[in-house]
Amino acid sequence: MNYPAELNYSKSHEWVKMDGDTAVIGISDFAQNALGDVVFVNLPQEGDSVSVGEAFGDVESVKTVSDLICPVSGVVCAVNADLLDAPEKLNSDPYGTWLIQVKELSEQEELISANEYEALCRVEG
Amino acid sequence: MSDLKRTQLFAVHTDAGASMVDFGGWEMPIQYPDGIVAEHLYTRHACSLFDVSHMGRLLVEGPERVKFLQHVLTSNVMALDLNQAQYCMIPAENGGAVDDAYLYRFEEERFLLVVNAANTDKDLKHLLEAVKEYDCTITNITADYASIAVQGPKSKELLMTLSGGEAVTEPMKNALNTLQFEGRTVRVAKTGYTGEPLGYEVYIESGEAAWLWNRLVELGAKPAGLGARDTLRLEAGFPLYGHEMGTDPSGAVIPIFSVPLARLAVSFSSQKGDYIGRKVLEKQSAAYQKIMNRDFSEMDVLPRRIMPITLLDRGVMRAGMPVYRGEEQIGWVTSGTMVPYYCHEGEGLSTKILDDTAKRSIGLAYLSSDVLEEDCVEVDVRGKRLKAVIPPYHMRVDAPPFARPILYKTEQEQSAAKDNDFEAKALELIQKASDNHQWRQKCCINLIPSENSASRAVQLLCASDPAFRYAEHKKIKSFYDQDIFYYQGTKFIDRVEQLLTEQMKQYLGCSEAETRVISGQMSNMAVFSALMDWKNRLDRKHTPQRLGYVLNNHIIKGGHLSAQPMGALHDYIAVDPVTERSAVVNFPVCKDNIYKIDVDETKNVIEKYRPELIIFGKSMVLHKEPVAAIRQFVDEQNIPTTIMYDMAHVLGLIGDHFQKPFEEGAEIVTGSTHKTFFGPQRGVIGVNYQKGDLKYGLWETIESRAFPGSVSNHHLGTQLGLLMAAYEMNAFKDSYQKAVVENAKYFAKCLKEQGLDVAGDPAVGYTETHQVIVSVGYGSGPEVAERLEQNNIIVNYQATPDEEGFTASGALRMGVSEMTRFGFGKEAFSRLAGLMADCILRAKDVSAEVEKLRASYDTMHYCFSDEKMQTALESFLGQIAL
Repeated sequence: MNYPAELNYSKSHEWVKMDGDTAVIGISDFAQNALGDVVFVNLPQEGDSVSVGEAFGDVESVKTVSDLICPVSGVVCAVNADLLDAPEKLNSDPYGTWLIQVKELSEQEELISANEYEALCRVEG
Repeated sequence: MSDLKRTQLFAVHTDAGASMVDFGGWEMPIQYPDGIVAEHLYTRHACSLFDVSHMGRLLVEGPERVKFLQHVLTSNVMALDLNQAQYCMIPAENGGAVDDAYLYRFEEERFLLVVNAANTDKDLKHLLEAVKEYDCTITNITADYASIAVQGPKSKELLMTLSGGEAVTEPMKNALNTLQFEGRTVRVAKTGYTGEPLGYEVYIESGEAAWLWNRLVELGAKPAGLGARDTLRLEAGFPLYGHEMGTDPSGAVIPIFSVPLARLAVSFSSQKGDYIGRKVLEKQSAAYQKIMNRDFSEMDVLPRRIMPITLLDRGVMRAGMPVYRGEEQIGWVTSGTMVPYYCHEGEGLSTKILDDTAKRSIGLAYLSSDVLEEDCVEVDVRGKRLKAVIPPYHMRVDAPPFARPILYKTEQEQSAAKDNDFEAKALELIQKASDNHQWRQKCCINLIPSENSASRAVQLLCASDPAFRYAEHKKIKSFYDQDIFYYQGTKFIDRVEQLLTEQMKQYLGCSEAETRVISGQMSNMAVFSALMDWKNRLDRKHTPQRLGYVLNNHIIKGGHLSAQPMGALHDYIAVDPVTERSAVVNFPVCKDNIYKIDVDETKNVIEKYRPELIIFGKSMVLHKEPVAAIRQFVDEQNIPTTIMYDMAHVLGLIGDHFQKPFEEGAEIVTGSTHKTFFGPQRGVIGVNYQKGDLKYGLWETIESRAFPGSVSNHHLGTQLGLLMAAYEMNAFKDSYQKAVVENAKYFAKCLKEQGLDVAGDPAVGYTETHQVIVSVGYGSGPEVAERLEQNNIIVNYQATPDEEGFTASGALRMGVSEMTRFGFGKEAFSRLAGLMADCILRAKDVSAEVEKLRASYDTMHYCFSDEKMQTALESFLGQIAL
């Protein structure tokens, strides 16, 4: 399992990377592994507002569906349209495949470091 | 997960990195590191292993085992032969399912009932309660044996490696066998839950389970978990207990007849007595029949049915999601996910399965019974209404060895623009027909064993005036059986038919012949119809009884289509009330030569079934049929029967070099006149009954079932051509037949020497007919046949007796009759064998050499060709041509 040190993580298994004033959000290696083969991703549209702790979309694997919980509040400024046709990228490259980018950040969950996140996953796994 | 049960293969799964989950109280692999999608795809294109040892295995034995099973299952246990399995339901009194199950009969005196893992305890309790009334026992032997499902197009090949080449089971679904895999005893069933046309479930003693699993992995199979098992069964449309059976999301019982597959598992045979739930199931069946006829007045009995559903919008359906028609909720999704598939290109037999894959969102749903195929509905996917449609099915398995995904097509193909230039079309047609004639008659080497080329004289006569006339006629008793014609202008054709009948009687060696039938299939239909009519002749006040039992060659063992219940026998064969299947039984074949009837075993079959009709004859025929031996046996045993020989393929070989059917004891011979015989495409019936014989009445019935029973217009042009062909045959048969059989044997020998795998008995030169059969590798038949066609060699790909169907064909069926007529002898067949080996084994382009070889043999032999005949033909041709 891979936990890149440069990223921050939410307890609901999303990762966040700050790019200037924009939050780039994806799902962790642990999350994709637990889901299994991802077959469909449901994402918001550009301009939608998202709020901390609320679902901004969902990710469907063969086995199950899981909500994507937003670690920040703000306005969606970009959506990864590649995922519509190639959702399996979330399995093959979870940290190179972002879901959405959020600007006008107003609120943010208390994120944890790679080390802390790894410890959390050990307990859950 | 410590209190969970583990199968014999637990350590094998964890060692392979499987993710384990609780499944019905068992700790089972949901997936391996490759993941569900890869496992699903590997099953569809290669072979996967599934540990199904968790499923409940219950042994039922004791004197009243059949009576007990008839009472607690929906299926007809009496219909289950040794080494066969059947799908069944364990019904509840309310018409719902306690469980679904598979019943196996590996041994005469024991039945194995395999039930769902999660239901084993419940089922056992239910069955142990019921068994108290019967003198038999149920034993739970789940722990004694492991069970491994080996599923996918490569499964047969892998298992045959372990069996040392021995056939694993008969090729039919639900066949069973007990055999050795590298010294270990296994029981194998041709069953499975993936929908794969090639799939097996192997039972082995617990201690050997890991050995078998690892051995199969070494050979190239890959493990697959419960996740892939679920997506595979969903794509195949199979129900899963707890989803499509049991109770629906509202808690109501799902009636057994709501499940499409279940219908096949329910029998109302009188043999079953008053079994559990029978009365309710009979009501469901009646309601089901109304619903299928789109009469929805009894929907309260069967309010909903399980149907396939395909999502048209992007998204994924899951079990429990409501389905709407407008604002009305009409049911729920019962199973749903995204399922992967291999993309394909091309059409029909040239459909190519690509490496590219895609996914589709499909499911099963429990929907109002008035929903029809192609109906559009909406699925509530977490608050969003997504469009969906009801397709007829998600997958088909009638083109083995592959299961084929059926994708829902939204847009109809545009029909081609209308073009009304009929003159141009007419010209183009002439040009194309001329090209085709030139290619097939001059450039190709035709080895289709059911074809021949007719002489110029025959061709010309077929196209002459009678081709456009009528000549209905019937014998009238008042005129001492004189034929009375219904039309004028028929004196010529009347004479032709009389002459043809005489020629045919002489050729066949029998007392009567009917030549009005226009095909071999029609010959058989007329005979079957006559046999049935004759059987019922003394009682016309009841619905006539059909024929049964009938003994024939199984289609998969080379039997004629026209002697099968799916062919000409269809409307004349009875259904056995005990087995609820067509009253047909098949000739057993020799173990060491599947192309040969096993005479001793056949005698046992005849004694057991006492068939009223025995039909010899095959379309894949290498050897003589044992007519004399069986005639002697039925006479000695005093078994009343009719022996018929369908000689379609070998009609032109009747004589000293093959068989004389009537001398050997056949009563009726049918045939088609264009395979080894010299004629245009027609049929013929010969019988050897004499006036005064009891069965002479059967002959008269055959005549009346030919006309007016089968034909009104009996195609007088080809009847005229056939007379010429009969003259040719009677004149040249000795030299022609000798050459055909010698050529076939020599061709077989040359092909063998070229390294090809030739079927048949080497002791008799592989063949005693015009046919030569070559194996080119399982499933490769269509591809090799196409390659040969591109090289101007026309053959017929065929499934051999151990293959599943024509798309899985691994053999080429060839006949030498046409090329023998064009003068091919040893030298030409030897060269041809070499060219074919180059093309088949080395993929060389031999088209030019084939054309060259063909060009040096362009004269038709075994026909009249002297100068007088040439002059007469030219004059006649001038008359017809312009």
